[in-house]
Amino acid sequence: MRTAVVTVTGGALRVELVSAESEEGKEFNPEECAFEPETSTPNECGPGPGPIIPEMKELAWGAGSFIVFALLMRVFLYPRLRKGMDARYNSIRDGHEAADAARASARSEVAQYEAAVSAAKADAAKVVDAARATLESERQAQINAANARISAKRDAALADADAARASARGQIEAAVADVVTSAVEAATGKRPDGAVVSRAVADAMSAGVSR
Amino acid sequence: MIALEFPPINEILRWKDLFPSFNKIALIAVAAALIGTVIFLLAGSKDPMKAPKGVRNLAETIVEFIENGIVMQTMGRDGLGWTPFLMSIFMFIYLCNVPGIIPFLQMPATARIAIPMFLSLLVWVVFIGTGFKHQGIGYLKSSLFPPGVPKALYILVTPIEFISTFLVRPFSLTVRLFANMLAGHILLVTFALLSEALFQAKGNPGLIPVGVLPLFMLIFLTGFEVLVAFLQAYIFTILTAVYIGGAAHPEH
Amino acid sequence: MEALSALVAELTGDEEKAAAAASSAGFAYGLAAIGPGIGIGYLVGKSVEAMARQPEAAGMVRTTMFLGIAFTEALALIGFVVFILIGL
Repeated sequence: MRTAVVTVTGGALRVELVSAESEEGKEFNPEECAFEPETSTPNECGPGPGPIIPEMKELAWGAGSFIVFALLMRVFLYPRLRKGMDARYNSIRDGHEAADAARASARSEVAQYEAAVSAAKADAAKVVDAARATLESERQAQINAANARISAKRDAALADADAARASARGQIEAAVADVVTSAVEAATGKRPDGAVVSRAVADAMSAGVSR
Repeated sequence: MIALEFPPINEILRWKDLFPSFNKIALIAVAAALIGTVIFLLAGSKDPMKAPKGVRNLAETIVEFIENGIVMQTMGRDGLGWTPFLMSIFMFIYLCNVPGIIPFLQMPATARIAIPMFLSLLVWVVFIGTGFKHQGIGYLKSSLFPPGVPKALYILVTPIEFISTFLVRPFSLTVRLFANMLAGHILLVTFALLSEALFQAKGNPGLIPVGVLPLFMLIFLTGFEVLVAFLQAYIFTILTAVYIGGAAHPEH
Repeated sequence: MEALSALVAELTGDEEKAAAAASSAGFAYGLAAIGPGIGIGYLVGKSVEAMARQPEAAGMVRTTMFLGIAFTEALALIGFVVFILIGL
């Protein structure tokens, strides 16, 4: 065992080797080596196998504990955990499937409801259309009836007016013919033929009216 | 002037025997197996139908990590039966690694070669056994005479395959785990000793504040060792899975 | 270097052998670390590239990356074991 003593003086670095028996070496070694029960002398750590040679007790204990652990894991610990995990995953998957099914059934119900609603809407529209059509036809009929009534009244009125005008014209013609007859009698002293007078009057009047 | 002495390697690796055939490494190994068992025992006793939390959550996370991160990636669905074996390897190695950074234990059990050597020999036996079980004697043929190689090259390929499959695999598994943990442990010891020596520098008080630097390095490396402990357990497990998967289903 | 020569000057016989063993152990580990260092750097760099190009394949790439790291790292670790064997 050697101790490298590094001395820093100014910028220079000096390394000295001091054997382990000197004071510097001793301050570390003995306490550390006291851990080793195999050590015969306090200054040398137990011989022990080299670092890459396995120590039998470590091998045995390590192997034993690992084998026990692996067997426990294989036989008992892992299957139990796995079963629990599978159960939970299955329940979660079942839950998902149930939710999916519920959603699908809800969707179909909504679809049915919407179909019913649209059917009802169509019915309502049909009824409304029919009502509107009857209403329209009734209104049309009433309008026609009213029109017919109005035109009948107007025709009657027109007929009355024509009749009145015709009678008035007849009276005027008669009066004019009388006046003309008397005028012609007074002028000529001769009584004109009534038929000729009335024809002339009618001609003059119709010419006057038509012009 | 500071006296910096690195203790011999056995001194930083060996500990007093608690009783003649039981030392600290054995204690850590037994504790690892015990802790793993207790975690899964507690996890198994919780009500499985509730949302997992606490220890059950931990155990289920480990199971899912092994299944999705290791088995499915390397062996596929057929390998799910290996989950308990791989999980016990993973947990045992991890719980043996982690004492390297736990104060007052400060010793990864895998930094001694016994446990890595046992585990890799076990894996060796298991993957060769799996190969013979699945392919019979054809396992030797498919592993020593890989298809798709010209006949003349078998003189060269067969010894290489033999060495790499049957000799190097257990050796490299052992050395990878053991040397990684030993290197980490030696690094921690080095920086701890360095900062202790600097803090106790008698001759030169100016060196005392410098001791903070290796202390920070020590803290950083301790964090790094957390990662290494996990990573080495993961790599050992995934290599085990790859070896077993390769033995069960030869590449066509 | 000066320190090393001062160190060697004080040694004789077995001690000289031990010093030679210690320095060759250091060289052994240093040389053993070069190749795996380059290899792991290349491997991880390529993996990151692959993950960046195809983030959906990141899980597979990561697993393969760890496998590759494990195989590459083994060389450095063997060097480390040799370092322990001849140096300490």
